[in-house]
Amino acid sequence: MDSERGRDSRSWDWDSPQCRAQLDEIFFRRHDYIQAGSQEHREFWAFLDRFQRFKTKRDMSAAGAKEDRKDGRKTGAGALDLGLPEEYDARYRINVSVCTGDVEERLGKSEHKGRRQRASGPGSQEISDCRLALLHFLDFSQRQSFGKLAKLRREQKNLPIFQYRDRIVELVRKHPVVVVAGDTGCGKSTQVPQYLLSAGFNHIGCTQPRRIACISLAKRVSFESLNLYGSKVGYQIRFETTRTPATKLLFLTEGLLLRQIQQDRTLAQYQVLIVDEVHERHLHCDFLLGVLRSLLAEQPDLRLILMSATINIKLFSDYFNGAPVLQVPGRLFPIQVIYQPIPAEEQPSRSEKLDPRPYLRILQGIDQRYPPEERGDLLIFLSGVAEISTIQEACQIYGTHTRRWIVFDISPPGVRKCIISTNIAETSVTIDGVRFVVDSGKVKEMSFDPKAKMQRLQEFWISRASSEQRKGRAGRTGPGVCYRLYAESDYDAFAPYPVPEIHRVALDSLILQMKSMCLGDPLSFVFIDPPPAASIQTAVTYLKQQGALDGRGELTSIGSLLAQLPVDVVIGKMLVLGSLFKLVDPVLTVAAALSVQSPFLRSAQHNPDCATARQPLNSNHGDPFTLLNTFNAWVEVKGERGGGSRKWCRRRGLEEQRLYEMVNLRRQFKELLRSHGLLESEHSAPPGSDRGQRREKLAERKKLHQLKRDHEQQESSRRKVLRMDEGQDGEFSSGSDTEGGGRGKKDQEGLGQNVDIQEVKFKLRHNVSELQEAASVSQDMSSRQQALLKLLLCRGLYPQLALPDEHNTTRKDSDQVFHTKNKQGVVIHPTSVFASDPEVLQVPEDDTREMGPDKRDSSRHQLLAFVTLLETNKPYLSNCVRVPALQALLLVANSVDSNADCTRLVVDGWLELELREAEDALKVLSTALNLRAEWERLLLAQLGGSTMGGAAVQGVSRKVMEKLSEGLVRFLLYTEVSYSLRRLTAFQTQNLYIGPLSQSEGSHTSAPDVDPLFPGVEAKPDPIKGGLRVTSFFNYNCLADSKDLYSECLRTFWTCPNCDLYMPLTPLERMQHEASCRPAGEQQQPEEEPGGKASSSSVSSLTRVYHCDVCDEDLSLTSTEILKHKRQHMYSVK
Amino acid sequence: MEKTMSETRQKTFTCQLCGLSSPFTYVGQKPPNTRAIVLLEECFVTQDPFSPDKEKFLVLGSTCSVCSMCVCVGSDCSLFYTKRFCMQCVSKHLDQFPRQIQAELAKKKQSSKAAVS
Repeated sequence: MDSERGRDSRSWDWDSPQCRAQLDEIFFRRHDYIQAGSQEHREFWAFLDRFQRFKTKRDMSAAGAKEDRKDGRKTGAGALDLGLPEEYDARYRINVSVCTGDVEERLGKSEHKGRRQRASGPGSQEISDCRLALLHFLDFSQRQSFGKLAKLRREQKNLPIFQYRDRIVELVRKHPVVVVAGDTGCGKSTQVPQYLLSAGFNHIGCTQPRRIACISLAKRVSFESLNLYGSKVGYQIRFETTRTPATKLLFLTEGLLLRQIQQDRTLAQYQVLIVDEVHERHLHCDFLLGVLRSLLAEQPDLRLILMSATINIKLFSDYFNGAPVLQVPGRLFPIQVIYQPIPAEEQPSRSEKLDPRPYLRILQGIDQRYPPEERGDLLIFLSGVAEISTIQEACQIYGTHTRRWIVFDISPPGVRKCIISTNIAETSVTIDGVRFVVDSGKVKEMSFDPKAKMQRLQEFWISRASSEQRKGRAGRTGPGVCYRLYAESDYDAFAPYPVPEIHRVALDSLILQMKSMCLGDPLSFVFIDPPPAASIQTAVTYLKQQGALDGRGELTSIGSLLAQLPVDVVIGKMLVLGSLFKLVDPVLTVAAALSVQSPFLRSAQHNPDCATARQPLNSNHGDPFTLLNTFNAWVEVKGERGGGSRKWCRRRGLEEQRLYEMVNLRRQFKELLRSHGLLESEHSAPPGSDRGQRREKLAERKKLHQLKRDHEQQESSRRKVLRMDEGQDGEFSSGSDTEGGGRGKKDQEGLGQNVDIQEVKFKLRHNVSELQEAASVSQDMSSRQQALLKLLLCRGLYPQLALPDEHNTTRKDSDQVFHTKNKQGVVIHPTSVFASDPEVLQVPEDDTREMGPDKRDSSRHQLLAFVTLLETNKPYLSNCVRVPALQALLLVANSVDSNADCTRLVVDGWLELELREAEDALKVLSTALNLRAEWERLLLAQLGGSTMGGAAVQGVSRKVMEKLSEGLVRFLLYTEVSYSLRRLTAFQTQNLYIGPLSQSEGSHTSAPDVDPLFPGVEAKPDPIKGGLRVTSFFNYNCLADSKDLYSECLRTFWTCPNCDLYMPLTPLERMQHEASCRPAGEQQQPEEEPGGKASSSSVSSLTRVYHCDVCDEDLSLTSTEILKHKRQHMYSVK
Repeated sequence: MEKTMSETRQKTFTCQLCGLSSPFTYVGQKPPNTRAIVLLEECFVTQDPFSPDKEKFLVLGSTCSVCSMCVCVGSDCSLFYTKRFCMQCVSKHLDQFPRQIQAELAKKKQSSKAAVS
């Protein structure tokens, strides 16, 4: 054959692109099975090279054996003749044929005509060689794909759960609820949904506690169910979904399913719901089970499957009326347990680092006892990230020294891998090849201290159940060893099961969600493991304080909005408040920034280059402002340089993934506000977009979509490489509960060389120029806007306020101490701007006047409003913003109590403010009361308007709103009143109030002419504190005071700046006058408003019945009209 | 052929020897969109699940030309040599197959034996 070709092939060269192109015209045309230019086309030519080399080699070696052609094959007499060809040819083993006769014929003709030009064209030999190669190539690809399929099926069959396949389907058909229990690796998460799919169930939802699990399971299951490139299997997490109408199986987070139930109680979109990992007992999961349990009765056709590790299964079965349990026995080899309690001298004390010696001893022991040829990796369970890095460091040193260990890397033969993890690897992550387990016996858990209103991250002993799970990881691939760094007696003393999250955390969001789902009284809701009643009560009280629930415990309008925001109540409140003023853009950003993990990498903290690069982003107003600056600067960079933002982030020690999360969350917030009518809908057509620009935009989007698709395809084929890349730069994935943490890194690394997929997704999802516009708006914020934004943040965060200790000026920067109402002696987290710049929180020296040992008069006292108070080794405040104390307290506090002349104020029963001048005190208080009343009114109108009329109705006119913000700003920035500020001692709080007066006295003092200062609120004696309850938050003259008791009735002459009234008034009378008297210019305002129909209708809806004592008549008036009406009487009195 | 193509309802192919089963979309010698490619036997065909290209096909199996048993194309279950033979029929008529194939099978048998023991 070769000699033939040599003679005939003229200038034919298989390697020449021209020659190949000529063959392409025959075999790989535009409509052919394989097309020129495609991936497979490239693979074919590579295959052809190999194929020809192989053939040449074989032909040479087989040359001698050729005559042996007619071999000894014989057909036994009487046997069936298969009719096989005499001569063997590998070609006969291929069941495919390629017919290109028509093309060849056509080419042949043209070749004939233009013989000269095509002198170098392929001859029939080349064509048939190429065809043969193509046949082998097709056969090869078929074998490859079929091999994958067969392997897949084999693996599925080998899973422990496989033999229960029919049983599971049968149980689900027969019972509304089924519990499937099996340990990690039995295949329940990947197989059960597939069993249901192939049994004909169609709308299956499967919840996961972690977002990352949704993504990876959807990928795995779509691969296994041979739908990798379709959308039969999809996932849905907060900002991302691959769901299409064709999706039959959806992996989603527990939180997302709860939101879906909030919108549709019938759960009509699901036929089967699988709740996976129920044993983890997350707050959301426990709640979800409770909700589903109550919904099942109404949905007889819905099927529910709970999947759990083999932990406390009976609990779940019992909760659902004794639902049938299918337990899948795991593959477990015997495990030897060795108790090695840590000796006292190596026990870490509270603040110290973990001592690595006990861990290193185990590594050494393994090296001595087990030959390196016996494979088997080590898995160490520790409690937290700090512990992991301590042990990792020590193990790495040991590993490089002995060359027998590799920490977090791919291990070559003869070297063991050491994996260090938190409790996450107990049940949730499958790690193969582990033979040795070291169990520290510790876990770090978040708990909530309702008394101090503080979260705590503490280390605890694990439960026996966790301990057994940890041990089990050693026996998955063969017999194993588990070293327990505690005594057997410790083990016996462990709790049987871990404490479920619902018993450990603040229940605010949960209760709010329950209220919005109309689940009735949270105290009587049937939880699988009910939280303590006190914990529910604390949450209800808190929600009432926050204004999310009213006095009867029902949702307020703000509350129902907050229930739909997937964030903390305090942050939700900021959003609502921000929508009222023209501060939506910065508030959206801040709210998003405070809801994700900090983008500032801890590791970059001590890098001077990062610190310098970050400097311009810092704001000494507080961390939310720094975050705002950072986000805005990033958006700026994105707009200008696009993909260059990654480098920009790296230089500043920023985790870009967090910024992407922020921008996504920000958009979600914006949409939520808009759907609640709290934000005007966007202008439909962006200015100046002509057809050409639109087309350009469309083309770009198309390109981006293509990039995204390409990336998704590549990702599946590149998976293995990614895994190997991970941890190459000595980093480790923390493996903590923080979802998505590791993924961001993987994405970045894997894509280092080509497309930044995050950038692509970002461009697809967001309008960069719009974001830039918003960023520049908040970058150019005036000091007035800044002051207002601070106030909004403070009102949102209230009552999370902290007071600087009075002795801070004499302390080192790092020793600054603060106090909250319920917790004394807290410190600022080192990542906060105030940790490095605490002077801005101190009262300037020249401004103070010492009035005594602990009394310092100034007009510059400040408080910190903070997002979190978390105790680790110390109680830390993080994400703080500083606010002017007096002004902020008067504007946001829930309880302000005064003495008779209002020079002494006690706020929330713990902060005491003493104002020097009675005149100033009255003025400040009076102004604050008026501003608050107006603010409250506008907020209600805004919320009311939004619930009534949808997006179109703007409850509050711009003019009124601007006036209020002007007033607030003036109050915040220009109140120059000297006062002292201190925390009350426990003793002082005991004898704070006068207490109620006796009945006769009471009726005597509360003179009948004391009109309600603010319409709708009756000023009446306070039954507990005494004094007069003037507004919902202000209690006049209830403080037990050394000053004389008659100043209440003491009238002093006063001139009203607005109406020239001049007469002697008591403090209360004066405030009352100020509340109703407006400067002459403002009087007519409501009528002047160019409100149009919308605003007038919303105004009219605000009217209510007002009984005027003077006219003795019931009038239907708006609050402004009431004020006007009262003023009319006032003039007549005068 | 028309009839099988119009059948969109999912049907499952199951190998009668190894039990491998997978849904198929087409039976015949000319799967859709294959242009110049023709199969030399009547095959159970599905869309190649491992290729992003929707037009790529994957042959799952066919029927043994001798005993008409339904077998997958896996080398443990069947063999194609101008026609499809299930492994049972191959061993029954081994002597009629060329030396190359006989040698190959013998080798495979040995290695699988070694793996078992």
